[in-house]
Amino acid sequence: MIIFNSPKSLAGMNVMAVEALKTVIDPELHVNIVDLGLVYEIKVDDVNTAIVIEMTLSSRNCPMSESILSAVKNCMERTFPEYTTQVNLVWDPEWGYESISEAGIKKLRGL
Amino acid sequence: MSTKVVSAHYLIAGLFFVALAIMFLFSIEAWAGHYFQPKILALTHTAALGWGTMIIFGALYQLLPVILETKLYSLKLAWSSLAFFVPGIVLLVYSFWVFDPGLYMQMASLLVLTAVVLFNLNVFLTVKYKKQESIFQEFIITACLWLTLTVLLGTLMVFNFQYLFLQKDHLQFLRLHAHMGIAGWFLMLIIGVSAKLVPMFLVSKYEKKQLLSLSYYFINAALLLFMVDGYLNGINYKTYFMVVLGGIGICFYLIYIFRCFKSRIRRDVDLPMLKSLFSFVLLAVALLVLPFILYYHIKNDSFSVNLSTLYGSLVFIGWISLLILGQTFKTLPFIIWIKHYEKLTGKVKTPLPADLINTSLLWVQTIAFLLFLLSFLAGFFLNSFTLKAISAYSLLVTAFSYFSHLILLFLHKTKTEDYDHI
Repeated sequence: MIIFNSPKSLAGMNVMAVEALKTVIDPELHVNIVDLGLVYEIKVDDVNTAIVIEMTLSSRNCPMSESILSAVKNCMERTFPEYTTQVNLVWDPEWGYESISEAGIKKLRGL
Repeated sequence: MSTKVVSAHYLIAGLFFVALAIMFLFSIEAWAGHYFQPKILALTHTAALGWGTMIIFGALYQLLPVILETKLYSLKLAWSSLAFFVPGIVLLVYSFWVFDPGLYMQMASLLVLTAVVLFNLNVFLTVKYKKQESIFQEFIITACLWLTLTVLLGTLMVFNFQYLFLQKDHLQFLRLHAHMGIAGWFLMLIIGVSAKLVPMFLVSKYEKKQLLSLSYYFINAALLLFMVDGYLNGINYKTYFMVVLGGIGICFYLIYIFRCFKSRIRRDVDLPMLKSLFSFVLLAVALLVLPFILYYHIKNDSFSVNLSTLYGSLVFIGWISLLILGQTFKTLPFIIWIKHYEKLTGKVKTPLPADLINTSLLWVQTIAFLLFLLSFLAGFFLNSFTLKAISAYSLLVTAFSYFSHLILLFLHKTKTEDYDHI
């Protein structure tokens, strides 16, 4: 479950941000990072026109980590060109398969 | 970045696989004879070192950080190891093929030993900086130790050709050398790596590691007992017990893999993964041959020699090759993809690593390999030259389709599309 931390007036941004993040696909599992439960928090700071994404990865020292993190930054800057984006990688709470959404499970099961 | 060193290992291993297939074609007659002969020795070392170990070294430079959750200690050490390894293998295989057990073979064995020592140093120093221990780490470290012992004994045997200082029969040492390599290096390493990666690829929730611990102790106990008893007494009735002990150890591992497979969230299993899983069937078949080798050996029946050749072929060209044929296309597309798309993702639509694979070539390689296996086994049991020739040509098609697939991947051109919306 993603925590949204943004002013009420910018609630529409949350939906757009999630949709943008759904374009970032885990290269091995072929499921987007939102449905994999890798995104923990989206903060929008309207004063400084900055977006902060707090997220994790399925394993430490994953060879694809750089590409996933840069994809997150790129897709947010593509969607919100007037904002700067910072991506914070966190390991607490640790990611597990229980974090995968219903849609993610369905995709993995090929349904 | 480790991608260059990993790619170099994959490419060189692919070349050795082609060389192996060509050598196989020119040594069909030799397969009917004793395994301790120049061509078979050359083939075995091409398969074990140039093909199997080369690609494992390369893959480990990429996978060690994932498995051990720490950075690789040194890329320079990896390149240095390769610089000794390639000329060492070429010289060793050539010396076996023409059977010149003199200076060239001795130099080759020392080059290979140096490469292995440098590789192990890199692995040990990588592990040293890791905080938590795991069963995967135990498997990998133990495999590296067995590899060192295998190559050390191999080197001693090479020098023994000229200086005759080993007290026992050369064939007795050859058995110990081969099984340290097969069970100690390949099996330990493959179990350690696959036990971590298979659940990741299948998205399996199965996490019980007791089966792996049991597997570790049973296989190592069997191998140690075989080393001691094999050295002192050669093959005898007690060897059955060691085969059973090792077999139970492998069964524990196969049960672990089966449970991972059963509890997987991901339903679709792609062709490379399917091949990897099927390779363990070939390992099981190879193990089933072992009691028969013992039976005929104890009876002093020369059929044990033919069965030993079958066993070695099932292990090296069956199990290990099929596993590599599968896993190459699970790992290499990621390396190529990172090089082309790491900085582009999110900006433009990019293909996924799996999209880089040429499905047609993958199927050609799969069908050719299956044909090789079937004709090789049929050719062995029916002692048919025609079937053996079919198997040799099928292996050649497998090797060329594999190598051309590697080249296609290395020559991949960046392809992107703009996002239509969002």
